[in-house]
Amino acid sequence: MHALDGVVLVDFGQYLAGPFGPMIIGDLGADVIKVEPVTGDGMRMANGPFFGCQRGKRDIALDLKSERGREIALKLVEKADIVHHNMTAGVAKRLGIAYEDCKRVNDDIVYCNTWAYGLEGPLAHFGGLDPLYQAVAGLEYESGPVHAGNAPMYYRFGMTDTANAMLSVVGCLAALYHQRKTGEGQELWTSLLDGGAMFASDATLVNGEPVPRPKLDVAQTGIDACYRLYETNDGWIQIAAIKPAHWEGLCNALGVPELVDDARFASASARAEHRRQLELLLEPRFKTKTAIQWMHALDDAGVPNEPAVDTKAGELVMFDADNERLGLAVEYEHPLLGRMRQFGNVIDFSETPGLVHGPPPIVGQNTQEILAWLGYGQDEARTLRDERVVYWPEDDYSWPI
Amino acid sequence: MPGALDGVRVLDLSWGIAGALGVLLLAEQGADVIKVEPPGGDPFREYSGYAVWDRSKRSVTVDLKNPAGVEAFHKLADSADVLVETFRPRVTDRLGIGYDVLHARNERLIYSSCPAYPEGHRLANRPGYDALVQASSGQMWEQPGWRPGPIFLYMPMPSMGAMFLVPTGIIAALIAREETGRGQHVRTSLFQGALLYTTQIWSWVPKATSFFYFSVAKSYPPGVHQEMLFEVANNEWVHASVMSGLAPVKSQDAILDLPDASDPERYMMLSAEERAALTPLRRAAYKQWERDKLIDEFRANNHAIEAVDTMEGSLGANGTPHPQLVANQMVATIEDERGTTTQVGVPIHLASTPGAIKGGRPALGSDNDDIWGGLGYSPDDIAKFTGAA
Repeated sequence: MHALDGVVLVDFGQYLAGPFGPMIIGDLGADVIKVEPVTGDGMRMANGPFFGCQRGKRDIALDLKSERGREIALKLVEKADIVHHNMTAGVAKRLGIAYEDCKRVNDDIVYCNTWAYGLEGPLAHFGGLDPLYQAVAGLEYESGPVHAGNAPMYYRFGMTDTANAMLSVVGCLAALYHQRKTGEGQELWTSLLDGGAMFASDATLVNGEPVPRPKLDVAQTGIDACYRLYETNDGWIQIAAIKPAHWEGLCNALGVPELVDDARFASASARAEHRRQLELLLEPRFKTKTAIQWMHALDDAGVPNEPAVDTKAGELVMFDADNERLGLAVEYEHPLLGRMRQFGNVIDFSETPGLVHGPPPIVGQNTQEILAWLGYGQDEARTLRDERVVYWPEDDYSWPI
Repeated sequence: MPGALDGVRVLDLSWGIAGALGVLLLAEQGADVIKVEPPGGDPFREYSGYAVWDRSKRSVTVDLKNPAGVEAFHKLADSADVLVETFRPRVTDRLGIGYDVLHARNERLIYSSCPAYPEGHRLANRPGYDALVQASSGQMWEQPGWRPGPIFLYMPMPSMGAMFLVPTGIIAALIAREETGRGQHVRTSLFQGALLYTTQIWSWVPKATSFFYFSVAKSYPPGVHQEMLFEVANNEWVHASVMSGLAPVKSQDAILDLPDASDPERYMMLSAEERAALTPLRRAAYKQWERDKLIDEFRANNHAIEAVDTMEGSLGANGTPHPQLVANQMVATIEDERGTTTQVGVPIHLASTPGAIKGGRPALGSDNDDIWGGLGYSPDDIAKFTGAA
């Protein structure tokens, strides 16, 4: 048994922040049905990011702008527990799949919209991409860092896409739990903007004044002489010498025992105050050995450390034996592309194991079985396909993935 | 209307960002969260972020090195639906509060563990501070920077991934418990939190074309994704976007008085050389504008753009908080031990069971009398096992 066995989620989303949440809910055992335009999800051209948000879904390709397409969509909603999408303002209403439309056919539905900005307010009608919300949240400022004179810099991990999607997962599951307890469904929303704000959640104003935080240095190595990356003679190593005992171990391992009791560096706050002075003493020491040599020396001295690994764009993670054995990296066979690998289970359950269903679907891969499930006969389905209300692949498949 | 997780009692034994923030998401959707701390307090308590991340919770202390403390904790766990801990694998077993012991006493208990690395991984006994996981998981190498090599992620990314996985696993297990009547052990890790952010950049599909990868791959100096960041007047910055979902009124180039060839949609499709030739022109045009005027002009013409703000700036440190954050009720005012504070609000918006902030961070052990007393302990007993004696 999987945690969300029997839960059906209908995913009307496209691009990233919409589809990623449903994918994670699918990994928990839910049956996730991707409703894709007959013209294909706009993200398919990008390959990797598309794969990263769509694995394990069943796919029905449907023209939502047609009357009969909407009818099929609402039949799907009737069978669903959760409806999820990231359409911009007014689009779901125009398509006839807004919350009110869905509630009419399924009274206790959980209905989630992941917005760019939010439900209402001065910018609610705007869409937007991840970097804008990194800018608002201060991520780009801090990662430059601008305060040190650098230009701002953007994180390339789709930070607010992921945050928005994951907030929607937590919200959908909380609403589903409430629905199971009380029989009441509801509408909920999250946004890229609010997802970004969670990354800045350690920022506070006290009586209007900012509370000081540690800052990134101009060389983008870290936030303290004892919590940063150092370059060795063959790569870089991160240290985290946080406790008093770590400091002593660090000085001894680096061959500078005289610094242990040096008044300039005698406490964490003194080291913060004389950060650059200390770094100028430590940097040349690190250059004298390899990262692995330093790892062993620092391990022996009890100083937390980790060499910074170049995974060759993730390939070494996907083929790591421990990651394979523990299900953190998974492989499946894509119908067009053959072998593919992605990250696997991100949550492990002792009694209701996760379920990575398989590769991302091709356009309309499951259209026929889903139509049959909804009660459409084969002839009816064929007519719908002929009239381009639905699509499933025959010898006319035109997408590369 | 109570929150969606009304009636769910959570014991939060976590240290570090992932547990604190993950549990906060549960607390503000209605769960009753009791933060359980050692007599001296959670060692991270002094760092400013924890005043935010530990709000909406109650606080008790207990000395788990004292057998009477362990016994009292067992009783508390008998009344709980969820326990969250972030120690290295097997540490709670040694303390006598591991999954096997507590689940045998209370089979409905959901036991959530979030160490740095998964149990059984060769890294599981490595030290687990966030930046160390950034290093070992390869994230530092993936981030572009102003120099070659790995870049320190100011945003603690592994923790910021795990903080979503902790509540996701817990609520999924609560839903499963409605069917089975039983709790279970739910485990994630900072390492898995880091993997969550690789979804756009890491997939091994040798037969796929690599258009996307080449367009946004890590490069030195940083590549195409930096090109929409512009300095404007007064040493301020904006991030412009090519996509707003709205039909443009006037093009960005018309606003900036640039030749058509640098129209941003076309601009992104040009070769690197062609772009490089146009870049100085674009950068000079932006420099002529005051930030807020340019933003108003862009938005009036349906173009997406944002100021590159500081973390505190969007909360209103410079006078005005971001207007949409205000509309989303994401700028909250809370009284805590430091005074009147401005903090982030509740980011998950449920219409019928809205979430809510339940108050500032509790003082250490402020709920000892209430919670331990409620389990039948006398003030003398409480003083002994909470370390107050």
